[in-house]
Amino acid sequence: MIGFMNVFSQRQDILWEKIWEHLQISIIALVIATLISVPLGLWLTRKHRIAEPIIGATAVLQTIPSLAVLAFLIPFFGIGQTPAIIALAAYGLLPILRNTYTGIKEVDPALKEAATGMGMKSFRRLSKVELPIAMPVIMAGIRTSMVLIVGTTTIAALIGAGGLGDLILLGLDRGGDVNLILLGAIPAALLAIILDLILRLFERTSAKSGFRSLVSLLVIAALIAVGPLAFGGKVKNDITIGAKLGAEPAILINMYKLLIEEETDLSVGLQKNLGKTDLVFSALQEGSIDIYPEFTGTAIVSLLDEEATSNDPQEVYQQAKEGMAETFDMAFLEPMEFNNTYAVATTQELAERYDLESIGDLKPVENQITAGFTLEFNDRQDGYQGMKEVYNLDLGEVRTMDPGLRQGAISSGDVDIIDAYATSGYMVDLNLTVLEDPKNLFPPYQGAPLMKQETLDRYPEIEDALNQLGGKITGDKMREMNYEVDFEDRSPEEVAREYLINEGLIEE
Amino acid sequence: MITFTDVTKTYQDGTTALKNINLQVQEGELLALIGPSGCGKTTTMKMINRLIQPTEGTILIHNKDIRDYNIHELRWNIGYVLQEIALFPHMTVEENISVVPEMKKWKKKELSSRIDELMDMVGLDPEKHRKRKPGELSGGQQQRVGVLRALAADPDIILMDEPFSALDPISREQLQKDIRNLQQEIKKTIVFVTHDMDEALALGDRVCLMKAGEIVQLDTPQNLVLNPANEFVKDFIGSRKTPWQTAVDVIIDYTNNKILTVEEFEKGRVVLEGTFALKNADGTYEGIIKNGERVQSPALSNDMILRDAVQVFESESHSLLPVVKEDRLIGTLSYRDIVLYLKESESNKVEEVSQL
Repeated sequence: MIGFMNVFSQRQDILWEKIWEHLQISIIALVIATLISVPLGLWLTRKHRIAEPIIGATAVLQTIPSLAVLAFLIPFFGIGQTPAIIALAAYGLLPILRNTYTGIKEVDPALKEAATGMGMKSFRRLSKVELPIAMPVIMAGIRTSMVLIVGTTTIAALIGAGGLGDLILLGLDRGGDVNLILLGAIPAALLAIILDLILRLFERTSAKSGFRSLVSLLVIAALIAVGPLAFGGKVKNDITIGAKLGAEPAILINMYKLLIEEETDLSVGLQKNLGKTDLVFSALQEGSIDIYPEFTGTAIVSLLDEEATSNDPQEVYQQAKEGMAETFDMAFLEPMEFNNTYAVATTQELAERYDLESIGDLKPVENQITAGFTLEFNDRQDGYQGMKEVYNLDLGEVRTMDPGLRQGAISSGDVDIIDAYATSGYMVDLNLTVLEDPKNLFPPYQGAPLMKQETLDRYPEIEDALNQLGGKITGDKMREMNYEVDFEDRSPEEVAREYLINEGLIEE
Repeated sequence: MITFTDVTKTYQDGTTALKNINLQVQEGELLALIGPSGCGKTTTMKMINRLIQPTEGTILIHNKDIRDYNIHELRWNIGYVLQEIALFPHMTVEENISVVPEMKKWKKKELSSRIDELMDMVGLDPEKHRKRKPGELSGGQQQRVGVLRALAADPDIILMDEPFSALDPISREQLQKDIRNLQQEIKKTIVFVTHDMDEALALGDRVCLMKAGEIVQLDTPQNLVLNPANEFVKDFIGSRKTPWQTAVDVIIDYTNNKILTVEEFEKGRVVLEGTFALKNADGTYEGIIKNGERVQSPALSNDMILRDAVQVFESESHSLLPVVKEDRLIGTLSYRDIVLYLKESESNKVEEVSQL
């Protein structure tokens, strides 16, 4: 509790900003969903035959995981609030549509007949009789959608839309920092409850005015949404640098920004915490971001769908560079020194007990070992699948989990070994031991700036600026900087600046 | 006023709801449509405001084909009272009554005084009930508002679809009385669907008995009872729940045997024994003559039910009472008539039972 209060007071400013962003995204998505669903639902009550297929289609939208919808939209709409709002609106369609349709359809047929028999025209019957009577049901649908959207908006943070999801993601990334997660989750829940109260109040006070109440509700919502912090406020930068989720990419892009702005006249915008490889790479292809730091190994395995032909860092880099140029017409600048490869890590205590030094040492105790692997690692050839072949291992139990949760699992003793990234800050914090990989199963993962060739052609001066980092930053240094951000709560920008100054790359 | 010519209704699945209906509703009359369920009575009524379209034949209102009217304007001029009452639950009493006048673009002031007038007419205090929602009213009050809603824009025709069947017996009786009074006051043309023979006989100026999409007999209540066209009519009339609910005008003696005119009486043509009703030359009721002497006595209204009539007999101690319809003496009712009627309805029942 005290920890939570501390986090709260430290991050109060950012919290309000995130709440506001969250509210904006949610309300705009809700307004759009309402604007589509209500008229569509009304129209369908006059076209019974096609009603169910159309409602079924919105139900399908609902079944697609929201993250998948977001990923799907990036090639068309890039990253940021626009695709988030589209996905969320699509998500909110079903409850409103179904309730509108059902609400109107379930109006007592005697009332419809009375209205018709008294000489009301179709529209008048709708606005004076059916809509007001169906209003509570429609509002219930809007309220359901609202809760759904406010909840799902947390995921929109993964594509750079902002909102309270930023705090939750940060918390998850820092090994399940409960206080940070709560700082994002509690306001999101409160937001849903408060909005629900407002809608219910609204529903009650305006039960009889039908169309009018709905329209005024939408207008009020739209005004809130297009408030002071609306989209317009952003400055257009020459270059936008994106980054995957986590401290390390955040530190790196701050270095990129500082270097570029030091050496050139270009202005640089940052877009951190963009989720995983697929999302960031789509954003790069689509053009929402111009540069992001990628690992050589990832470029080969995930982006090019190849296997590393060598375990020599330099050759791997060459393979990645050529492949990215050929396949995607992209430039991959010089990599830094540190190798953030996969590693299998265990606690020192366990290492001593079983006398573990390399991965191969696991063999004699394989049945007593419980592993906590990420889904991705578990499935990869240069991950657990490779471990099984190369080291002939068959571990007793493998639990798959979110990357951020592994460190919690190993420190609590739930699992004995985890897959780790060699430079992660928690390696320092938890005092973990990395098991050696004498058979070179894991290819080198060196970070380097990835961008479209056309970006480099337009701003050739970037290359020199960024190549200053080539061969710099050792694994230890990177680990230390990650630790400072994740565990000492320093800002990535500060850490990046300090490093560059110490290296003499920028002036104080 | 309303004329059905060779109206037939066949549904897509081939079932015939109505066969060759020919029917005229007179201006200012209350025509009761009655028959077993599925006989087509409601279909017939709903054709008048075009809720149901005939497959063949024409329907005229004021000698003009109803298809030539603008459908909405046609409906504005036909009041509609539903079995389900169907007041709009989100509107107040006042708003419900205003629905049609508003569509006809009545002025606010005019409408407001009209609402007061109507509510007074059925004994609903406007001050108290105007702003209430239907849910706050009793069933009887709701249907009263339902009737007012139909009357509001002063239509020529009113359609009532089993309007009282959803009500408890007491409210039903009260509303039937209200409708009779209203009808006498405002003289609308009313087409009234019911499955309750007593209601049809008591309210209808004429009763149209239907069966399987055809009209079996269209006649005055008296003729229907006295001269049933066939066994079906007889059975249908006989199958009422209790003879005590019957309106007296189907029991009374329509012959002039027990009626004297004032003229005859004053000329001294007096029979000393027995009781006679006395009427004026213009047909209005004057008094009764008991064993040759003029006595004052209340008259029974033609729509009074038998049970109430017997109460009057008890308090008046006459063996015969005059029956009037709007002041006009139309017949007499004696103990003998009552006993014979009860005997007849009893034997009908026995027949029914033995048929089962």
